Amino acid sequence: MKAKQIISYAILLLLVPAAIVLGFLIFGSGGFIYSILAVSVLVCAAFFLSFEKSSHKSGVILILAVMVALSVASRFIPYVNPMSALIIITAMYFGAQAGFITGAMSALVSNFFFSQGPWTPFQMFAWGTIGFIAGLLCKPLKKSKILLALFGAFSGIVFSLFMDVLTVLWQDGYFNASRYLAVLYTALPFTALYAVTNTVFLLLLSRPIGNKLDRIKTKYGL
Amino acid sequence: MSAYSKLHPLTCLVGYLCILIPAMFIKNPVIQLTSLLGSVLFLSVICDRKTIGSDLGFYIPLFVLMAVTNPLFSHNGATPLFFMNGNPVTLEAVIYGIFMSVMITSVLLWCKCYGIIINSDKIVYLFGKSLPKLSLLLSAALKFIPELKRRFRLTSSAQKTLGQYSTESYTDRIKRMCGVFSSVIGWSLENAVEKNNSMKARGYGMPGRSNYSIFKMTAADKTISVLYIACLSLTLAGAFTGKLYFSYYPTVSGIPDSPLALASYFSYFVCAMIPIIVESEEAIRWKYYRSKI
Repeated sequence: MKAKQIISYAILLLLVPAAIVLGFLIFGSGGFIYSILAVSVLVCAAFFLSFEKSSHKSGVILILAVMVALSVASRFIPYVNPMSALIIITAMYFGAQAGFITGAMSALVSNFFFSQGPWTPFQMFAWGTIGFIAGLLCKPLKKSKILLALFGAFSGIVFSLFMDVLTVLWQDGYFNASRYLAVLYTALPFTALYAVTNTVFLLLLSRPIGNKLDRIKTKYGL
Repeated sequence: MSAYSKLHPLTCLVGYLCILIPAMFIKNPVIQLTSLLGSVLFLSVICDRKTIGSDLGFYIPLFVLMAVTNPLFSHNGATPLFFMNGNPVTLEAVIYGIFMSVMITSVLLWCKCYGIIINSDKIVYLFGKSLPKLSLLLSAALKFIPELKRRFRLTSSAQKTLGQYSTESYTDRIKRMCGVFSSVIGWSLENAVEKNNSMKARGYGMPGRSNYSIFKMTAADKTISVLYIACLSLTLAGAFTGKLYFSYYPTVSGIPDSPLALASYFSYFVCAMIPIIVESEEAIRWKYYRSKI
């Protein structure tokens, strides 16, 4: 089990820079979008493989499935939805790897209802990474409400900035700074909304849902 | 249900990749237009009129927006048409904008079509063997979503009947929502653990168990897959030898028309048309059988 985990981390460490260099060599400066695509796919694949090799019991997998279903259902609420907040809370109580899986699967499953597109791997990567970082920071996030609020706002803003970079790369084929500024400007209200809703929902939901998750873990020994 | 979606999931996946890889990576106008033509035809075959109408209302403005904005943000190119705010609007940027929007629109349409064709059942089938934990998570999550909705409705109406927070005031409604939300989460989490126990009792995870599958690889599936891969190889051969190279900047080059380029165009055209051929073959056969009655 340990050797396989090392293999999947090695994939991450070696293939990510390799993908970026290869994208640059094959497609020139217009290749960044392909590099980011390759990185997203590879990172998701590495996490999926390490999840397969992990010692998670099927009980934990079903709990994660409930949390994925919850965050997918919450995405149907227009504009103010607690999707990212739910992913972050799950990650805080089940660890970084489970956090990535919850984020990535929420993106994949919710796109069955919204629509699958070229953005699916990027969203899986972005939401997965939010979950992964929240899982790594679980101890300070559980202790301090201020840090939790900051993390919520930060994740909302970074998510939005990342998606806007993709919009520009895809339309122009290279990073066009003037278009990026224009996109940022039009997306500003949404970025602000993401940050605020993430923060508010994290502060509101982290305690009650966290307690439930903790209780389930102790009650059934997961 | 369309004829194409009855094909084996693996064939559908191969078809998806064979269509999408050239459409996304080869910047050649002929390839891009072929992809757009194929995607529009396929969408018009598998969707009903109403969906197509609402899709056109979304994709045509998007297309125009992307095509128009490119020359405003990109000032590359050798042939200025006119100047706006001191910046040149070039012919090359206009052409590049149009073909980029052709590419993006066609990729979006293909994704929409294949989103209908490759549903979650097929994804679980495709990855179930190699990724059992993830496909358990995926299929469980898909099952839990309607269940969450049902539980939310049940709990909400039960609380209403009990007379809790039944006034129409805003604070009362929010309080009831929070209470219902909380109990639904608790209920679902406990239920998930129960389901796990029931699965274990029935032998989930024991060695030698097979997966549920209703798909069978037929001769037609194999033929179509081989055709797809052959066509993709020929198209990629054209791309990798540089015969499909088309430059937009600084000046627009002529459309490549060497024999290999023509062969590549044709093979990609076949790739893009396979879904429509499969669909119309079924329709023609249906009409033929009905005419014999």
